[in-house]
Amino acid sequence: METILLIVSSLLVYMTGKYNPAHATHTYYETLRIGGLAFAVVLFTLGILLILSRRCRCGIKQKPRAPGDEEAQEENLIVSKAAKETPPEN
Amino acid sequence: MGDKDDRSPKKKKGATKDMDDLKKEVPITEHKMSVEEVCRKFQTDVVQGLTNAKAAEFLLRDGPNALTPPPTTPEWVKFCRQLFGGFSILLWTGAILCFLAYAIQAATEDEPAGDNLYLGIVLTAVVVITGCFSYFQEAKSSKIMESFKNMVPQQALVIREGEKVQINAEEVVAGDLIEVKGGDRIPADIRVTSAHGCKVDNSSLTGESEPQSRSPDCTHDNPLETRNVAFFSTNCVEGTARGIVICTGDRTVMGRIATLTSGLETGKTPIAREIEHFIHIITGVAVFLGVTFFILAIILGYTWLEAVIFLIGIIVANVPEGLLATVTVCLTLTAKRMAKKNCLVKNLEAVETLGSTSTICSDKTGTLTQNRMTVAHMWFDNQIHEADTTEDQSGAAFDKSSVTWLSLSRVAALCNRAQFKAGQDSVSILKRDVAGDASESALLKCIELSCGSVRMMRDKNKKVAEIPFNSTNKYQLSVHETEDPNDNRYLLVMKGAPERILDRCSTIMLQGKEQPMDEEMKEAFQNAYMELGGLGERVLGFCHVLLPEDQYPKGFAFDTDDVNFQTDNLCFVGLISMIDPPRAAVPDAVGKCRSAGIKVIMVTGDHPITAKAIAKGVGIISEGNETVEDIAARLNIPVSQVNPRDAKACVIHGSDLKDLSQDQMDDILRNHTEIVFARTSPQQKLIIVEGCQRLGAIVAVTGDGVNDSPALKKADIGVAMGISGSDVSKQAADMILLDDNFASIVTGVEEGRLIFDNLKKSIAYTLTSNIPEITPFLFFIIVNIPLPLGTITILCIDLGTDMVPAISLAYEAAESDIMKRQPRNPARDKLVNERLISIAYGQIGMIQALGGFFAYFVILAENGFLPSQLVGIRLNWDDRSLNDLEDSYGQQWTYEQRKIVEFTCHTAFFVSIVVVQWADLIICKTRRNSVFQQGMKNKILIFGLFEETALAAFLSYCPGMDVALRMYPLKPTWWFCAFPYSFLIFVYDEARKLILRRNPGGWVEKETYY
Repeated sequence: METILLIVSSLLVYMTGKYNPAHATHTYYETLRIGGLAFAVVLFTLGILLILSRRCRCGIKQKPRAPGDEEAQEENLIVSKAAKETPPEN
Repeated sequence: MGDKDDRSPKKKKGATKDMDDLKKEVPITEHKMSVEEVCRKFQTDVVQGLTNAKAAEFLLRDGPNALTPPPTTPEWVKFCRQLFGGFSILLWTGAILCFLAYAIQAATEDEPAGDNLYLGIVLTAVVVITGCFSYFQEAKSSKIMESFKNMVPQQALVIREGEKVQINAEEVVAGDLIEVKGGDRIPADIRVTSAHGCKVDNSSLTGESEPQSRSPDCTHDNPLETRNVAFFSTNCVEGTARGIVICTGDRTVMGRIATLTSGLETGKTPIAREIEHFIHIITGVAVFLGVTFFILAIILGYTWLEAVIFLIGIIVANVPEGLLATVTVCLTLTAKRMAKKNCLVKNLEAVETLGSTSTICSDKTGTLTQNRMTVAHMWFDNQIHEADTTEDQSGAAFDKSSVTWLSLSRVAALCNRAQFKAGQDSVSILKRDVAGDASESALLKCIELSCGSVRMMRDKNKKVAEIPFNSTNKYQLSVHETEDPNDNRYLLVMKGAPERILDRCSTIMLQGKEQPMDEEMKEAFQNAYMELGGLGERVLGFCHVLLPEDQYPKGFAFDTDDVNFQTDNLCFVGLISMIDPPRAAVPDAVGKCRSAGIKVIMVTGDHPITAKAIAKGVGIISEGNETVEDIAARLNIPVSQVNPRDAKACVIHGSDLKDLSQDQMDDILRNHTEIVFARTSPQQKLIIVEGCQRLGAIVAVTGDGVNDSPALKKADIGVAMGISGSDVSKQAADMILLDDNFASIVTGVEEGRLIFDNLKKSIAYTLTSNIPEITPFLFFIIVNIPLPLGTITILCIDLGTDMVPAISLAYEAAESDIMKRQPRNPARDKLVNERLISIAYGQIGMIQALGGFFAYFVILAENGFLPSQLVGIRLNWDDRSLNDLEDSYGQQWTYEQRKIVEFTCHTAFFVSIVVVQWADLIICKTRRNSVFQQGMKNKILIFGLFEETALAAFLSYCPGMDVALRMYPLKPTWWFCAFPYSFLIFVYDEARKLILRRNPGGWVEKETYY
């Protein structure tokens, strides 16, 4: 997660550095495009990571749970299945 | 097949009459005839059988002895149903209107805009793709169905011209003389002419869990109850029998049920009705908007053709393009989730039906019970002991220390012909296969469990003589050597009908000591016997005696035909009673259904006493509730004097049901909360289901036997058992419990209710963005501004950014305990109601449109076109030849430059909608609770938020988009135009929900709670 945040912030720095009205419109649009695309890619990766990280965390979390705690476990199971199923839907 | 040929020339009227005929009881009369009369009727001989010529003639006349398979729908019909059913109609209409509009434009304009054409094509593509998707989904589950079919050809042993021949069961004809033995499947309906210890398992036909003996005598007027008829496709458990075939193929009792089942028309599923209602609402709104603006356009001076194109444009803009796919995916996800919990759903729409269910009619045998006899109670030492009947032996054990128990277990083990089949040492005792009678195997398993190896016990006490059970003696006895090799006495053990056993006893064993049988003990016995019998259990009595050595010395020749030894003055040891016990998970599941407001009715073919006992055991008749008979017995008054209103529970016998009028039936179903129907025929089960449906209930039926299948088919949702269920019942059902566990139904109800709630949220979310999509077009018409949002961008929202978030709402957890509320009322609680439309269209949608327009005006103003100048600019703006249009600051704009600004506005409007949809998604998570109560645990939803934003950024910034979709990069600041509106939506809806929670039943709830 930290690495991603680092990339985002460095990108922002990069963008703001280049954000200069003195540049020609064409260069500005070029920067805007790259920035926007990077933004999209980062968001998308974040989303994917979110789902994957959920599954791992869930796997660790479930083991120590007491067997009597059925209700909570079931709820968790539903979500974990959901997570596994979603990627092909996209 | 012959039947089918007969029927085909008839008109439809004939077919409906046929159905009514099938609903009536079985018309078999042969059981009342003598064997000779039956022979005469079928021109056969009781020794020689049919002649080959006659058999061939009959085969030609009646057709083969096989069930006509239910008419299968051809694959292409199934596909078309997916393609044109339900929601698809709306999209098809939209597509056709688009093509129509394009045709008009093409005919009238030189260079028609391609928008309508693209839209039409996209709509068609969406329907076709979604249709294919759901078709393959259902094909997958029907493939699993195929695997259930076992295609083993049946053989039958017939006697023709005096010779025994093995023929294919399909070639059996009426009049054939047939022989069946233990383990055979009965090839047709047979009038038994001779039998030797023959027992048949009728459970799939009548629901009785115990095997029934067969003999040549007519014992009952009802052909289903009489002893001398054996039915097609039931199993012969033991013994042998010979009989004359009286019916074959579709004319058999089983065949009539199968025909009745396949002929039943089923109504629409609740969700299909809801979607239809939704389509009505959407169409209403669309047509209203369309016509209003059509009139406005005419007033404003547009030409007729232009106005018609606007009309079509507005109507099509109301079609939620993505919703069909969303609903299908949501249902599929739930179906998958249920399949993982062992509920296989055959029809996608049936996923929700269990959630709407208000009545469950459950079969008893095999569904609520384990379908195996088990020792339930014992009476010894003048005390009733309870045995463990749970499937996994987790129940409490009784006191095994008494000497009497040792004697009782010895008698039960020795006087018992059942034994475990070989090679099952590794299998747990309860799961082992046993050769022998059901109650004897129950005893065997019980003794094996509590006292260890029965075989060792039998080896130690060698059997010397035995009299097997027969119906005149009503007892079974055997003589054994004793365990002690120095003791030369013989041990006589006997079991049988308790009253017969008691008659033969002069003493009784108490705490291991023999005591004389006095009146007091006899009364205690009677009480125990009555009590156990009243529990619906089958009671057996046990006694033994050590034969005196002086009369019966070692090597005494026991003669079992001409009994030459003592069979009275025995010592009574105890009673053991057996029952087919309820499955462990059932009482809990019934309780959960109760608290979820679902009425559970038991409908069984078994006897009333057993049915009532099981109903009490599983909570279908709850503790403290009495039937009319119970009240009468308690108050000691005749049944007729009891007010039926006082009794909440009732047990109704099938023969009484036959005489009830429709009104009386409705009365019973309405006024009793806890109902048990016993001794019901398959036809009556169907009538019960129809009765419940007539009262407006959404009925689920669970069952495993052939006798349940008409009811399964007729029910709103039929639930069959995957392991024990018959093929016919699985064919008729909509859902299959793969683990046969009734508790899975609760899962089904829960998932069904959850998906109904979540579909509401999904629809609310998807519909909201319709308003910011339509209003630009309306303003374009009314105030002549440059078009703020184009068709392509609308499609990008509906089929792009909105999809994942809408689907993610299917993963939303329930807001409150959905199993604690009443089932929805199909007349009142709709999937989509006016309140939902009012929220989505009238409130949130309007704020969203404001946000979009704000971004639009900001961008145009930044480029020099102030809002005041935009009004009425449309004609000049869209004029290709005008290349020097001046803005508010006097700058001149060429056509192409203007268009770039316009499409940048489209992109900004699109991005604004995405931004306001963030807030919409978060408020749609809940209908009553605050988001802060619900939390953001739904990670798919968060993924959806990220994904839609990423997609929006991608569409805006990807090089080449300006050519492909005419979308342009936005300045970062333009993204923030809609932020305040997004925030406003969130605050507005949180406030609404706060008021709604604070004033339950208040104005806000009445007007805005969807």
